[in-house]
Amino acid sequence: MSASQSAVRSRAEAVAVSRTFDWMILFVLFTAVLGGYHIHYMLTGGDWDFWSDWKDRRLWVTVAPIVSITFPAAVQACLWWRYRLPIGATLCVLALLLGEWINRYMNFWGWTYFPVNFCFPSQLIPGAIVLDVILMLGGSMTLTAVVGGLAWGLLFYPGNWPVIAPLHVPVEYNGMMFTLADLQGYHYVRTGTPEYIRMVEKGTLRTFGKDVAPVSAFFSGFVSIIIYFLWHFFGRWFSKTDFISDDAS
Amino acid sequence: MLYLVFYSFIRWYEGVYGWSAGLDSFAPEFETYWMNMLYIELVLEVVVSAALWGYIWKSRDRKVMSITPREELRRHFTHWTWLVMYGWAIYWGASYFTEQDGTWHQTIVRDTDFTPSHIIEFYLSYPIYIITGVSAFLYAKTRLPTYSEGLHLMYLVAVIGPFMILPNVGLNEWGHTFWFMEELFVAPLHYGFVFFGWAALAIMGVMNTEVQAIGKLLKKDLA
Repeated sequence: MSASQSAVRSRAEAVAVSRTFDWMILFVLFTAVLGGYHIHYMLTGGDWDFWSDWKDRRLWVTVAPIVSITFPAAVQACLWWRYRLPIGATLCVLALLLGEWINRYMNFWGWTYFPVNFCFPSQLIPGAIVLDVILMLGGSMTLTAVVGGLAWGLLFYPGNWPVIAPLHVPVEYNGMMFTLADLQGYHYVRTGTPEYIRMVEKGTLRTFGKDVAPVSAFFSGFVSIIIYFLWHFFGRWFSKTDFISDDAS
Repeated sequence: MLYLVFYSFIRWYEGVYGWSAGLDSFAPEFETYWMNMLYIELVLEVVVSAALWGYIWKSRDRKVMSITPREELRRHFTHWTWLVMYGWAIYWGASYFTEQDGTWHQTIVRDTDFTPSHIIEFYLSYPIYIITGVSAFLYAKTRLPTYSEGLHLMYLVAVIGPFMILPNVGLNEWGHTFWFMEELFVAPLHYGFVFFGWAALAIMGVMNTEVQAIGKLLKKDLA
């Protein structure tokens, strides 16, 4: 074939072109996933993620992993099954956390003056690494869903423990006992207060004392397994390259 | 870079005039600094989208199947520049200004649908990513042979899904005027945003199609 029919003129140029495309593709995937994952997460688990006084032992531990395993499962379905890249979950979580940290610092603190130690995001990186490693070593969607999904739920609370533990120490204030995180919420009144925080730790599970967090984590892991399966197939659907023919349209 | 500079200015404007003129929608300064901002951005968005989409369509390549591989590769680069802008615009709209809206309404009790954060989030950052996304789609459809065989399903989802977040604002505002719900972000009223936000994942389908097309171009005549 003639040189004029080639898209590139040398192998070196082909390599350079493909590397440039790699960076553009990565940027677009990262930012699009960031936007979609962030709007999903903030509107399904956001309140537990926004405030330290919502980061309780029961609903935060239950809700946050269940709603956050969605996009990692979908992106893994594309990046692993098409390109053998075991980075889908970690990419999603890094994107989400970048968007959250920028927001908590620039807006929660920078515009409305909530201190960052009251509105820091939840930590999801340990679960994401485990999810990717299980997929890479096992190469099985079922194994990743069952073992990885359960680990995703179980690892959430331990992964956040170093940050949240100091805020869960008890304090006495005006004769009342509550946690330091509750005291933060008491002082930083939000527009829906007090009704707003009545969703935190309601129910009788709290009467089980020290068992609340592990029981919640185990339940969360169980639901995360099911959500992983569901979103894996969402991811496969979103990865389709089909066309609607002009005739049909 | 253009969006970064523009949105940095917008964030500065919010910081200064959100507190000084954005707390009471009945105040004259609210009209001056916020409602006028809304009117200006709406007019500009209509004009820019009409001009940009009209230009891309009007200047379309009517012999798209006969371009050289090198020209096709060049157009893929231009297309990816559009997609980079789309991804970047989605970040600002769906991530930055949407979560910002949460903290503003956790701090200020709203007395209008057109609050300072809504005027930026719903009526500026969302239209900007819609304009960018539709432009990228139109560019691909009118200039790349890859997309000449029909309408790419996931490209449609990736553009129309996030677009539908804007009409969903109607449901959101209706709900906020109906119930007092300051400001439970996980309220079911917001789930429409969630559903349409999932459509961002369809960028994976576009990516897969592009990787196949570019792979074919790069392997061509290289042996």
